[in-house]
Amino acid sequence: MTRKKTLKIALKLFVIIVLIGGSVGYYLYNMPHRDVQATKTDFVLKSSDIVSEYLANPALANEKYLDEEGESKVIEITGKIHQISTDFNDNKVVILKSETDKAGVSCTFFAATNSKTAKLQIGNMVTIKGVIRAGAAFDKDLDMYEDVIMEKCDIVSN
Amino acid sequence: MKNITIKTSILGMVVIALFAFAPKVNKLTTTKTHIKFFSTTAAENIEANNYKSVSTVNTQTGDVVFSVPMQSFEFEKSLMQKHFNSSKFLDTKQFPKAKLIGKITNLSEINFEKEGSYIAQVSGTLEMHGKSNPIKEKATITVKGGIINASSKFNITLSDYEIAFEKGKPSRNIAKTVEITMEAEYKKEN
Repeated sequence: MTRKKTLKIALKLFVIIVLIGGSVGYYLYNMPHRDVQATKTDFVLKSSDIVSEYLANPALANEKYLDEEGESKVIEITGKIHQISTDFNDNKVVILKSETDKAGVSCTFFAATNSKTAKLQIGNMVTIKGVIRAGAAFDKDLDMYEDVIMEKCDIVSN
Repeated sequence: MKNITIKTSILGMVVIALFAFAPKVNKLTTTKTHIKFFSTTAAENIEANNYKSVSTVNTQTGDVVFSVPMQSFEFEKSLMQKHFNSSKFLDTKQFPKAKLIGKITNLSEINFEKEGSYIAQVSGTLEMHGKSNPIKEKATITVKGGIINASSKFNITLSDYEIAFEKGKPSRNIAKTVEITMEAEYKKEN
């Protein structure tokens, strides 16, 4: 091969590599967030059970439920509706907690699912699916129990 | 008959007296909060929002606590959110909560019972990524119609919390100091 021809091939290869690299970089940068509702459920539990699991051994529970990159376990929690409120992001928050439990599970809905909470009533049982963000614990500084925190929630069944 | 009336009246007065001297508005609690952090560099602006912090304020002692679930910080870019949570940055699986424990040092200047706007001086510690640093900032407390709103804006230096900076993307795209904006809404209850 002539030197000119080799150079031409090398240049073409270089351009292709840059394009591939650029595309991969672009794809990664614009990668969409995980669709929690479309993700297969990892665990199905009662609100009382996940609360007692966390209160018994928080380190073990965090190891089980939290993910290193924040894409933590997708869980379905069944419990009694204790409270319904709205957060600063205009999202509905449903707390599942039975009277005998020290803490509950706080479930935050999102834009696409907020309207589903309209039919919910305090005292009813419901199953909610979402991603876990933090576990339940007694915080000595707050001097109170913190709930399990779930976000990106939707109702599974009534 | 007369005896019973007297006893009831005395009992009634004692009960009223007890209520009259009962401390007002003791501990305020809320889960209605918003914490935002903002970083600006020549490369890009990064912003993350967290609406899941829990906070308490003791109006008698001035104690203020914020418990922040780190994995609730949401970024526009999914890749950024993953980097933020990773063990190379904030290691949120190991340190799932950040905490601010402070005290309002000018408590006498704030009247939680009277409508108005007050500037609170807050001194305390911020614990994040397993590291604690002292913090001394101002907050604005607004009392209106049974709702107490607290807001504050301050900067933190990431290296104070041993948040690693390696060559490459994170160090170029994230500023050394980050601006934190927080807001909390408390309802009066005992």
